[in-house]
Amino acid sequence: MTQVIEKLNELKQQIEEKIAAAKASSEVEDLRVKMLGRKGEMTLLLKNLGSLPAEARKEMGKKANEVRDFVQEKIESARVRLELEAQNNALKSEVMDVTLPGRRKPQGRLHPITNTFSRLEDLFVNLGFDIVDGPHIETVYHNFDALNAPHNHPSRDEADTFYINDNLVLRPHTSPVQIRTMETRKPPIRIVAPGQVFRRDEIDATHTPVFHQMEGLVIDKGITFGDLKGMLEIIVKYVFGEKANIRLRPSHFPFTEPSAEVDITCYVCGSGKSDCRVCKGSGWVELWGCGMVHPEVLKKSGIDPDEYSGYAFGIGIDRITSALHGLSDPRLYFENDVQFLNQFKGA
Amino acid sequence: MNIPMSWLREVTKIEDETNNFLAKMTDAGNAVEGINRIGEEISHVLVGQIVSLERHPDADKLWVTQTNVGTETLQIITGADNLKVGDYIPVAVHGSTLAGGLKIKKSKMRGLDSNGMLCSIDELGCTEADYPEAPENGIYVFPNLDVEKYPLGSDARIPMELCEEVIDFDVLSNRPDTNCLIGMAREAAAVYDMSFELPEISLQEKGEGNVADMVSVEIADTTRCARFTARVVKNVKVAPSPQWLRRRISASGLRPINNIVDITNYVMLEYGQPLHAFDISTVAVKDGKHGIIVRTAENGQKFTTLDGTERVLNDTNLLVADHEKALGIAGVMGGENSMITEKATTVLFESANFDAANIRQTARTLGMRTDASARFEKGQDPNQPIISVNRAMELIELLGCGEVVSGVVDVYPRKREEKSITFDPKKINSLLGISLEHLSEENICAYLQRVNIKTSKTSDSMYNAIIPTFRADITCTADLAEEVARFYGYNNIPSKHTQAVHGEAALPGAGKTLRRRRQENIKKAMIALGYNEAVTFPFESPKVFDKLNIPPDCTQRNAIRIKNPLGEDFGIMRSIPVNGLLECLSRNFNKGNETAALFEIGYTYHADETADLPKERPYLAMAAYGIEMDFLSMKGDMESLLTTLTNRPQVFEVYECPFLHPGRTASIAVKTNPNPREAGIKVGYLGELHPAVARNYDLYDPKKRVYVAVIDIADLHEIAEAYTFKFTKPHTFPPLDRDLAFKVREEVSASALEEAIREKGGGSLAEIKLFDVYRGPQVGEGYKSVAYALRFRDHNRTLTVEDVSKFITAILQNLEKKYDAEIRA
Repeated sequence: MTQVIEKLNELKQQIEEKIAAAKASSEVEDLRVKMLGRKGEMTLLLKNLGSLPAEARKEMGKKANEVRDFVQEKIESARVRLELEAQNNALKSEVMDVTLPGRRKPQGRLHPITNTFSRLEDLFVNLGFDIVDGPHIETVYHNFDALNAPHNHPSRDEADTFYINDNLVLRPHTSPVQIRTMETRKPPIRIVAPGQVFRRDEIDATHTPVFHQMEGLVIDKGITFGDLKGMLEIIVKYVFGEKANIRLRPSHFPFTEPSAEVDITCYVCGSGKSDCRVCKGSGWVELWGCGMVHPEVLKKSGIDPDEYSGYAFGIGIDRITSALHGLSDPRLYFENDVQFLNQFKGA
Repeated sequence: MNIPMSWLREVTKIEDETNNFLAKMTDAGNAVEGINRIGEEISHVLVGQIVSLERHPDADKLWVTQTNVGTETLQIITGADNLKVGDYIPVAVHGSTLAGGLKIKKSKMRGLDSNGMLCSIDELGCTEADYPEAPENGIYVFPNLDVEKYPLGSDARIPMELCEEVIDFDVLSNRPDTNCLIGMAREAAAVYDMSFELPEISLQEKGEGNVADMVSVEIADTTRCARFTARVVKNVKVAPSPQWLRRRISASGLRPINNIVDITNYVMLEYGQPLHAFDISTVAVKDGKHGIIVRTAENGQKFTTLDGTERVLNDTNLLVADHEKALGIAGVMGGENSMITEKATTVLFESANFDAANIRQTARTLGMRTDASARFEKGQDPNQPIISVNRAMELIELLGCGEVVSGVVDVYPRKREEKSITFDPKKINSLLGISLEHLSEENICAYLQRVNIKTSKTSDSMYNAIIPTFRADITCTADLAEEVARFYGYNNIPSKHTQAVHGEAALPGAGKTLRRRRQENIKKAMIALGYNEAVTFPFESPKVFDKLNIPPDCTQRNAIRIKNPLGEDFGIMRSIPVNGLLECLSRNFNKGNETAALFEIGYTYHADETADLPKERPYLAMAAYGIEMDFLSMKGDMESLLTTLTNRPQVFEVYECPFLHPGRTASIAVKTNPNPREAGIKVGYLGELHPAVARNYDLYDPKKRVYVAVIDIADLHEIAEAYTFKFTKPHTFPPLDRDLAFKVREEVSASALEEAIREKGGGSLAEIKLFDVYRGPQVGEGYKSVAYALRFRDHNRTLTVEDVSKFITAILQNLEKKYDAEIRA
């Protein structure tokens, strides 16, 4: 019996030594098979206990199980330790230079004009406006007559407006969409009409013959100049931030009365610095025109001015875009140099 | 319009500081374009007197002066020869600044100290027209200087009346009445709520006789001439005008000429009424009177205007004529034959009213926009010629340049009466959004009174407003509302945010239409694919058709022409989508940008005789060159885009397009149903740019080829709309994959092979993927080896090899039979 115990102790010691020396979990696994497997040394040794007398067998059995549990536990913890070590070694060997450039897909950009349009469209959709379109080639009726432009109005001049023939023009503003809207919809009306417009300006550092506007038209019972002012404040603060303020100046457009020019506090110097290039020291920058829809315009489109009133505005998109990005030469918008376009945000 | 501030102050008695004044004027709608402060930059130029004058010992052309500037006597060297001892002159002392910012410092001239500079008018920023008494080359000498008032050492600008603040007001096109001093003075008085009366005119009329006995006026064309008044001045002495008048004319932007011309210009600046002066001896006499007729010209009639140019007239041009000949083009320019010269002794002054549109047209067709025509074409009040001509007579007497004959000939066939408007003041409250509490009926009437609109109550709620004849822009209640608002202050009107933000329930409508949303989606998909959005002009040169190789008889050449383009390069409306993008690519290419991928959503324009308007068709165009750009890249981008937008199968077929590579161009169709035989609806094309076209755009580089694609968005929209679907459950049983590899002749297309596979693949063939194409010695010349991965799936069970093997066999047989395929694995 002492022989068996000695043998067990010997095995126990052997195993402890081998575990200590093991370098990989596979070695430990081999040891487990060799010792505890079906034909393992310890298994065989324990099988022989059957020949011992019952008393001794019970005592030996207890002792043997203790040793086996001990060994099993040793082997298991060694395996866990070695696997972890192996994993750590693998992780160490796989260290990368994370500052290497990523494998990129090329990313395009929306045109800055589109960005401004969609920003405003989001605002107007949220305010309950419909976004509508109108033709670029427009009738003289929709473009001038219905908008109350006198027959000798300078804007009708061939020096200012592109003509296709005596009845058709390239629209010089988005205002004819007001007329098309009033012809097809009944009040209440709340629309904006974004799009390209065309004026006979020679191309230079401050002019392009193509530019972009967003027309707004609201008609309902009881619409006042105060509503127009409120709307303008919302637009300007939305685009230029809470600090931006507006000033309205009486002005003249044939299709609105009263009419106003909207000025905003200078977005460059803020306060009217005497050498400011943008506001020339006045502290204000002219943004766009607006006004209460002229009763004649309502009448011509079949809306009773005694019952309804409304306001209209025409936002200059290129100017806003230039203001937001500190750009002064509008020709850049039409050159489409990728070095220029890539500077803008994707969406 | 330029108005000298001192003149405006003299007329209005406004004393407010200039910047405050201008801010208030701006708030009332009279915006200021700029302020020109004449003489402001000149400093330390003093009144001086020559005490002694000697030749410079070492220079023949220089004089050495001792000049008294009050506090001291300075030695100053000058080259001018027009001085004598005792002369009063402007002296720029050490540290002074002259016109143009020139700084004057002590210096030595040929060895002698010169402690400043004696000034000519040129150095003070003026011309001989401003100071006709100034010598042509020499120092300005004050004529008759009042030394008590302007002592030695005082600022020389003051006796010269050099300094002026000139305000450039932006005159609104509906307010021609403000395009003059009196008009702006009225506005200013209204802004300050001060009363304003026209200055009274008093005349002595010392001239012999009566105008009515000397002059007759007949208006033959009363639609083009509403009024013609004439007055006569005898014993005219043509001479330079006095300094104060010349300074005002000059500051207002006109050139002083002589007293007669200056007076007509002065009255025009003051009252806005253009006047004209004729030498009465050139006006033919009939029945004992100089007879004026206002009539139209004859077609082709030639006439020389006072600028010496011969003009060819037509029968819409209005003339001021006598019974024999034309004397002037009415409202535009007088004739050379009747102009005032030094010899003139009796002068006829015209003050008339002509039709705005007619003057505008005449000025335009003759290409001569004058100060007079610019005013007439905006519309003038026909009630003002009489005041204006009388004011001119007053100035004649004031300046002593002639004897005014009493009486006036005034023919006024179309009298403009004051109009009245009936209005409800509450309507003004409601239009402006100002409550009665803040804007009562009395307030409204008071604001209107400021702009000379008289109001009276006609019933419980209604008022009558009488509009002065110079305010032709006011025709309805909305116009009255604007007048009230201008003086209430636009910026004092309360803003209302409630309706805009919370409002009633959103109005019917979807915000954005599906069409618009789809365009936005196209843009988003395109930027995700790496393309930058471009915006180009919709008009282009008719040369684009040649540049794009479009055949001469092709209907695409029938573009819409612009009648008045900005030059031939912008002469037609776009009829083919690609030119704008190709020009942009060319610019990128020639700037050395390595890669450029652009897209644009734009319109092509096509004549349509059946409709009121031409057709405008939206398209998507893509164009790109650069790293990793080739036919299959662009095709892949197109496939991705169409999948994003429609998720329908696509068909690409060989296609011909004049500006694309004949062997590398495909049409693009989208199928509306899964039927393999359906050809799909054609939506566009794509391909490699033809090398000849690439050369035309200066975009040719065999290593950097250009690829182009065009899609008709309207068609695409229809397809996307039509496609509705019911979902199918994702597979739960595992797939079974088989690979096929075989050799076929080079010309058998990938799509043909795919179709042959699909034909026999059975219902469980789920995917066909081409994963390899090999050409080389092992397959032999004219052949290619292709490899496909097939995936089979069934919704109800796990497929076995046996299940699919009969299909594989059928596929291989089909490939063999149709395309002589030689099976490799």
